[in-house]
Amino acid sequence: MKKSKIVTLQEAIQEIQDGDSVFFGGIVEDRRPIAAVCEMVRQQKRNLVLLGTCSMSGDILVGGGCLGAYRGCYSSNGAFGISPNLKRWSEEGRLIIDDIGHLDLSLGLLASMAGSPFIATKSCLGTDVLNPEYDNLPKVREIARSKELLPAKKYQLMEDPFYDMGTVQLFPAIKCDVCICHVQQAGEEGTVRIDGSLTFDHFAVHGAKKVIITAEQVVSEEFLRRDPNRNQIPCTSVDMVVEAPWGAHPGQVYNFYDMDIPFLQDYAKHCATEEGFQQWADTWIYSTKNHEGYLDKLGAARLERLRAIPPYGYRPRKQGGMK
Amino acid sequence: MSEKFVRPEDYSPTEAMVIYAARFLKNFDGKRGLIGTGLPLVATQLAKMLYCPNMITFLETGQADANPQELPISIMDSRLTFGSSWQMGDPEGLFPLSRNEIDFGFIGGAQIDKYGNVNSTFVGDDYNKPTKRLAGTAGAVDIGVFAKTTVTLMAHQKRRVVEMVDYLTTPGWMVKKWPEGHLVRREELGMKGGPSTFVSTLGVMKFDDETKEMYVDKVFPGISVADIKANTGFDIDVERATQSDPILLEEVRILREEIDPLNIYRMR
Repeated sequence: MKKSKIVTLQEAIQEIQDGDSVFFGGIVEDRRPIAAVCEMVRQQKRNLVLLGTCSMSGDILVGGGCLGAYRGCYSSNGAFGISPNLKRWSEEGRLIIDDIGHLDLSLGLLASMAGSPFIATKSCLGTDVLNPEYDNLPKVREIARSKELLPAKKYQLMEDPFYDMGTVQLFPAIKCDVCICHVQQAGEEGTVRIDGSLTFDHFAVHGAKKVIITAEQVVSEEFLRRDPNRNQIPCTSVDMVVEAPWGAHPGQVYNFYDMDIPFLQDYAKHCATEEGFQQWADTWIYSTKNHEGYLDKLGAARLERLRAIPPYGYRPRKQGGMK
Repeated sequence: MSEKFVRPEDYSPTEAMVIYAARFLKNFDGKRGLIGTGLPLVATQLAKMLYCPNMITFLETGQADANPQELPISIMDSRLTFGSSWQMGDPEGLFPLSRNEIDFGFIGGAQIDKYGNVNSTFVGDDYNKPTKRLAGTAGAVDIGVFAKTTVTLMAHQKRRVVEMVDYLTTPGWMVKKWPEGHLVRREELGMKGGPSTFVSTLGVMKFDDETKEMYVDKVFPGISVADIKANTGFDIDVERATQSDPILLEEVRILREEIDPLNIYRMR
């Protein structure tokens, strides 16, 4: 049998260094690695560069003082408003942000996955994403530990020499030190099975130097390998596997559980102020020693109310789903 | 559908915006729309129930032909997955756009200007210390660049409907040519598409074929052109404005009882 990649959450997060560029799987409140992020705050990571999107998982890092810069395309907690810590820090001039487009992000990860230095697209033409005055990439690069993972410039315009599509933007590959994905199932060697949206995970893992998978369930590789077409991340791209049940709470995990709406509302309310965030973090991060402590504090009854009901991948409101 | 009308005092401005937007989507029955998060999603669900059952919903989080059975509360609510034809990831959700296969994009935002450019990134004059930081680009850039046309929804207020957006997220008719950043017509950059309609809480705005500037096409019942002028941040053309047909009792009933019975979107 090949070597098992299973480690504890603490061990996995210890592999992240200050100044690392990190990418999180999932989007908005779908499959966000919340358990991993809370552990990053406990371990007091500093000057991280967040790539991709900044919803609750990234927002906790902002509040926890772990983030030096954010380079991405979407900083919202969906129905619960703009990511509150990012909003506050940005409006106080305390956080470096470099905006890119959503297709930019997809194509940058695709380029990285394919081993190409850049990709050509018409995305962002005509918009302020290409405004040199708003180009914070040099500042992001300054903070990043692995400078070679960030491109020398944000983009390059050129005329399409092949199909006469006019001006196109050359957009550089997006690479990172660490990619963390929270998924439904992973095998001990790192094979991953995702349900619901794959978001960017199936691209992003290939452009990362280190990949940490946190999974609702660790199952046997043999079980996942009976049906390889249903797997989205190969064991060959994964370095560490952590079992973290309910590891995306208060977000959703398709076929496992739905969003914890009161918890998300409470988070948004608290994080409107610095003191509020500290209070929230004291309750849910610092005073709970680990993920098990976080789950104990939530309590089984609360979690049970979130469980998805087949055939839906969520909990229908008519069947007790939260409102 | 019953032809019974309701009076303006019997619905909220947000409900009016969503209902008139749903009516406008009648033009897209059988067509493919890439739908943004928030009220566009609500208007789309209402439109599919009343006016365009064959409209096909795409989302930037990777669903093709999504058919949610309950109202989703975000762009990656699990409710969008169940019942869709295909669920991949964000890249596959956006590639139909960049292949120019999407007939219309439907978005909200924080500001819209007279050329239909939309801002969803920040409000203020300092990018590094904004007055108000917003969600960012997400699909809003890509919809504006690649969809065959764009429809925008936004509350009609002086600070939102402006001469020029603080940050140009979604390209309208006059866009910025880099590296200088001067305004040019989008065709000059080889961009197709462009905004066709802006549905607000007061009326429906379109764009002049020649000047590409916004004008008032329809004014909602109980609203005057003076109201629209007073709530617009530039001197808007109201010469072509006519009155919208009143809202039907059935439209309000379906929106309240079947689309958002729990008032999740706080439209009322």
